[in-house]
This record gives sequence, structure tokens and C-alpha cells, in this order.
Amino acid sequence: MYYVDLLISGVAFGCLYAMATMGLTLVYGLLRILHIAHAALFTLGAFVGVWVFNASGSLIVGLIVAILAAVVMGCLIYRLIYESILSQPPYVPLLASLGVLIFLQDGFRIVFGEEGLTVRHNPFYMANFTIGAFSINVIYIVMAGGALISMAVLAFFANYSRHGIAWRATVSRPLLAANFGVNVIQVRYAAFAAGSALAAIAGVLVALMNNLVEPHSGELISYKGLAIIVLGGLGNMQGAFIASLVLGIAESFGIGLAGRYVDRDAIAAVALIATLMIFPNGIGRART
Amino acid sequence: MTGYHLSLISLTGIMIVFAVSLNMIMGLCGQVSLGHAAFYGVGAYVTAMMSAGGVPTLYALPVGMLIAGLMGLIVGFASLRVRDDFLAITTLAVGFLFVGVVRKSRALGGEFGISGIPESGLGPAGDAFLVAFCVVLTVALSVYLSRNWTGLAFRSISANEEAAQTLGINSAHYKLLAFCIGCALAGLAGGLYANYARFIVPGTFGFSLSITAAAMVVIGGIGSTAGVVAGAVLLTLFPEIFRFLGDYRMLVYGALLVGVMLFQPKGLAGIPSMVRRWAGPR
Amino acid sequence: MLELQDFSCGYGGTAAVESLNCTFAAGALTALLGPNGAGKTSTLMAVMGHVAPMGGRILFEGRDITNRPPVDRSKIGIAVVPEGRQLFGDLTVEENLIVGGYSLPVAAARAEQEQVYSLFPRLAERRAQISGSLSGGEQQMLAIGRALMAKPKLLLIDELSLGLMPKMVDVCIEALTRVRQNGLTIVLVEQNTSRALSIADHVYVLASGRCVMHGSSAEVKDNTEIFEAYVGIH
Repeated sequence: MYYVDLLISGVAFGCLYAMATMGLTLVYGLLRILHIAHAALFTLGAFVGVWVFNASGSLIVGLIVAILAAVVMGCLIYRLIYESILSQPPYVPLLASLGVLIFLQDGFRIVFGEEGLTVRHNPFYMANFTIGAFSINVIYIVMAGGALISMAVLAFFANYSRHGIAWRATVSRPLLAANFGVNVIQVRYAAFAAGSALAAIAGVLVALMNNLVEPHSGELISYKGLAIIVLGGLGNMQGAFIASLVLGIAESFGIGLAGRYVDRDAIAAVALIATLMIFPNGIGRART
Repeated sequence: MTGYHLSLISLTGIMIVFAVSLNMIMGLCGQVSLGHAAFYGVGAYVTAMMSAGGVPTLYALPVGMLIAGLMGLIVGFASLRVRDDFLAITTLAVGFLFVGVVRKSRALGGEFGISGIPESGLGPAGDAFLVAFCVVLTVALSVYLSRNWTGLAFRSISANEEAAQTLGINSAHYKLLAFCIGCALAGLAGGLYANYARFIVPGTFGFSLSITAAAMVVIGGIGSTAGVVAGAVLLTLFPEIFRFLGDYRMLVYGALLVGVMLFQPKGLAGIPSMVRRWAGPR
Repeated sequence: MLELQDFSCGYGGTAAVESLNCTFAAGALTALLGPNGAGKTSTLMAVMGHVAPMGGRILFEGRDITNRPPVDRSKIGIAVVPEGRQLFGDLTVEENLIVGGYSLPVAAARAEQEQVYSLFPRLAERRAQISGSLSGGEQQMLAIGRALMAKPKLLLIDELSLGLMPKMVDVCIEALTRVRQNGLTIVLVEQNTSRALSIADHVYVLASGRCVMHGSSAEVKDNTEIFEAYVGIH
């Protein structure tokens, strides 16, 4: 039973990581930037979502406003920060991105306070779903379900729509894609918008799980997101999804079995180092 | 000079040693490290444990350096296998691993860390002098390495590893050397910090310290020893200089980092040549 | 159709092409010949908008397009078969073609796709295959097909025969001959000079970024001494 519980929470967290970090994968695929400020969009989504939910009483409205806020902020970060430093060595956008993360996190602290926001009427808090001997936290089902649905929509778009195919072509060869009429700048905005929207949804879900959102909530995914895109193999969506699941499950079992000796982040770190030593170019197919 | 000033000077010196040590890996050898605080932490914990066990600080410091250097050597071996972004993430993971293990280790004091680290016996001025001595040593080594042929080999690896190999420069050898020296010096800085603070907790040696060090290197000007020293001084004194900002310090710090990357990505080291370009004939 | 007037371009302030004057007549196949580093590829890339212009003008159908972004150039009817094919390697054959026809309306792109498949039946057989796993000849067919998908008026081809078996070169040239019947204008950069002279109407010879001779391919062939001095015989 215990191991089944570990597996369930591992899968739920893995799905959540996948949804929260898909934006990093999309951005890395197009721009080769380690977009660590993405974690702040996750927190922004959570704050806005919880605030609107508390004020309006409607989770759907909260979610929509959260998505809008994160999309606008994500596109602004591209336009104001990254666009002018794309040709610099990779550590320049990385540190600029860190600067944005520090700035926004402190901004959240100033605006929403050190303690953050609590969800007032949380429909999922302590709610359990029982089948026979099993009892699953409802929020885990919502997390996994939400992630799988949004991933499926994204995968369908990328593989079966003209614009999705053009997007993948842009990841493969941006200059040449422009020569076939693909507006590379629009593709970039689309990537930032889609990734930020997913981060916002993930942020709201995590806030519902914890019943709370704090200025530093985004740290849950900040460095793990980087780990996932690298493990997933440089901007490869399927690879990133598998890497997220592996990470979620490894963490879950790691805490269950070795939690006395190391903490959650360290377990993820061990999984990451071990994987990279075996596959120095990540799990996903490395691009040339 | 008051105790407050002495303490500020010591802290600044420690951060100079730390930032310059990272620059040996990042600037001179081009290997991005996002987990440098772990080696600083190793030095701090070794020195703290030994001092608490009765070993004089002056003996404990070199041991901390040695152990941090050996750990660096291990990560250096990892850097032979993975590169670029993958290496950055590996070092990041090393940083988290260090904090995660220390936090759960009862022998190392767990979450509460080690307190009551005995004094070195050199007195406040003596401690500051010790730090100053280490700063001089580190900066001299950095300048020496970047000037002489070893530095040349480091930089050719950072510019183009394959080309360096064809020229007969054994890049593996130099990468290991860079990690070993850089991490040993980070351990020295950590040891000095333990002696300075006399109280250490695992949280100090986490991701944000690694990032602060990387920011010092990059804001100072990656690869330039003088620039990195300036970057370390600026960022260490940042809370003091910007005390009037009160609650908004981190906000301004983030904005500053973004601003430097947007408008002066070569860092402080790029300013002299920029001024020359302005002042010079058109 | 396409005209370069006193055109210079280059990378990072260094000129790769200087004061080039070329006219590419509508419906003609014009070859750009010359040794390595003569500026042939830079000229094509400048027409596609990927090399910074440093002087002069590029006119397409009488309009100045010197500073138009690359996206616009595909819409007005310029397509490229780049050096080394440069397929979208993670995409399937069919997806490469879909990207090729991205600037057309969906229905027109579908129709064009059938045209390309009938021109290269081999591609139709491989339509679901990942393009990176095709053979060299198939990749070149796909690169040509992808460019034709945009229904271009002007087709730029960089190194048609590079790394291909002679038989595959024949297949590609035959396909180009067929599409030329619809009035397509072609600019061909080629290392294989004798091959290029046999199919070109007009020839420009470049050396060190400048045009050193031009004329109909018959004239150029007659003037062998100068020609050999610059290009050498392959």
C-alpha cells in the first residue's frame, strides 16, 4: 500500500512538473535561454488566481485571470529583457533571467506580504477520493488530469496543425523557417504565451494543494525546471515530459525510503547527477 | 577603525576570495558553475568542525581547502563527461545535494548548523589581516594564472575546446586543474567565513549564494580578475550602500542584475574600454 | 525579374560581395560560378535577407527589397534550396512540405503538395519518414520540393550537386527542367561548372566578391582562357 501511495504522489508531482516547466522547454527550444524567471510566472499565476478566487468566489474566473496575467508578463519578459540579448553568450540571458526572478519574487513579497495568501474556501483541501482500500487526495487527480489534458492539447497542436508544424520547424532551423513565411517573432510570443499559461495553471493547482501561496512558492520548480529541460534533451517536449515523471517518482520514492538522510531537493539532485553521468546529453534525443 | 568596519572589511575580503575562485573556473576556463557555494560550504564545515574539536584555525583552514579541492576534483571529472548547459545543471545539482545532505546530518548539526565556533586567537585585527593576506594570495594567483601559459591554455579551452586539443593542449588536464584550484580557494573562503561568523547553518550555502558569486563574476566582468574583485566589493557592500532602500533592497538588486546584463554585459571590466571609446577620436 | 545594382554585403563589417551588378532575366536559368569564397552563397543569402547589405540595391520585379525582412521575401515569391539541404531534420517529409507551403492558403498548399509528389514520386513513398533519415539524393529532392511548395517565381539553388551521386543530380536537373516550363526563374550556384554550363542560359563568374565575367553560357564556354583562370576545369 505504502509503495502505491508513493507511486501516486510521484506521478501527480511528475505531471505537475511537466506542466509547470513546459514553458522552459518551449523557450529553450526556440531561444536556447535557460528561462529561470519562468518560476516567477508560476508564482504570479498562483497569487493572481488565489486573490481573484477569494474575491470572486469563482475558481474558473480566478484561473482565467491568472492565465492572462502570466501570459502578459511572460511576453513582456521576452520583449523587454531577452529580445535584445539573444546574441550574447548564454550566461548573460541566464543571469538577466535570475535578476527578473529575484525582482518579481521580492515584488510579490511587497505586494502580497511575507505570509502570502491563503485560499479561503478550498474545495480540494483535505478532500479524498476512495476506491476500496485506496484513498487518493483529490488534488492529485486534478493535478495529473490537468497536466495530461494540457499536454495532450499541446502535443496535438504541435503535430497536427500547420502552425504547430511551423513552430517545430522554427525550433529546428529558425532562419530557414522565416524563408518559408513563418513569422519567427510570432512563434516566440506563442511559445512564451503557451508556456506562461501552463505555469499559471500549475501555480494555481499547487496553491490549492498547499492551501497557500507564498512569494517563494516558485522555487519548487525553478531549478528543477532547468534540470527537466536538460534531462529531457534540449527543448524536446516528449523528453521533458518523461524527465518530469522520472523526477517526480524518484523524489517520491527517495523521500519515502531515504528521507532521513537527504531532503527532497537533494534526491532530485542525485537523480539528476546519476542520469547525466549515464546520458551526458540528456534522456531525450540530442539535437545536432 | 571600529569593529563594525573591521567586520565589513573581513566579509568583503572573504567574498573577493570566493568570487575570484569562481572566476578561475568560469572566466579562465569557461566552465559555468552554478553550485560553487557547496565548496565554500565544505571549507566552512571542515574548518568549523576542526576548530570546535580544538584544532587551531591556522591548521584547520588548509585542511578545509584540501577537502574542498578534492571535492572540486570529483566535480571536475564530471565536467569531462558533460559540458555547457549540462555542466551548469550538474554543478547546480551538486549545490543542492550538499545542502540537502548537511541539513539532514546530525553529526553536522542538521538544520541548526554549528554554533560556538572558537575564536582563532588572532583578535579582530589579526583575523582581518589573515583575510587580507588570503585576498592578496588569491588575487596574485589569479593574475599569475591568467598571464602565464597555464592561463593561456585555460582561456583557449574556454574559447574553443576542440581547437585547443588539436594544438596539443590537454583540455582534461586543465579543466581538472581549474576545478581543483577554484574549489580549494572557495574552501579557503568558506573556512575564513566560519572563523569570521563563528556560527554556520546549511541555508547559508545554498543556491542563492552560488548565484551571488556568479553575479559577482559576471557583473565584474567574466575573466577579468580586477573586474571580479570590483564586482565582489560592490555586491558585498550592496546592502550597506543601499541601506536607505530599506525593504526594497532585493527588488533593486534584481533590477540591477537585469540592467547590467542588458546594458553592460561585459560587466565593470568593460567600462574602461567604453570610456576610452567615448573619449577617443571618432 | 531580379536585379542587383552596385550591391555590396558582408558579415560584421567585412564585405563578402562588392559592387555587384547582375540581372537575372525572367524565365531564365542563371548560374553563378566561381571558386570557393567568391561570394556566391553570400549573394544568395543576401537575396533571402540573411546577410546584411552594405550598399547598393536589390530589385525584385522592379521593387526595392534590399531591406525587407526574410519573412516578406517568401510572400512575394522567392524560395531557396539552401546549401547542404538544411531540412527540418526532426520533421517528416510531409511536414517539411507543409512548412514549405506555409505562406499559401491551406487548399492551395494541398494542391501544390500533390504536384511535388508527382514530380518526385519517391517523396510520396516516404511521406511519413523523418526527413533526417533520408538518403542524400532524397534529401535534395525534398529540399527542392519544399522550395517549390511556396509556388515561387524565383528559385535560388545553392550547390545542387554537392555530395550527390551523378544519377541523383540527373533526377534533380530533370525535375528542374520540368518546372521551368511553367516560367520559373532560377538562380543556380554550382561548383560543378561543366554541369552548370550545360543547363544555364546565362552565367556570372565571381571571384573574391566581384563579378569578373558574364555572358550567355555559350559565350563563356568560348572564352575558356579567362574562365579557366578563375574557375578551373572540373
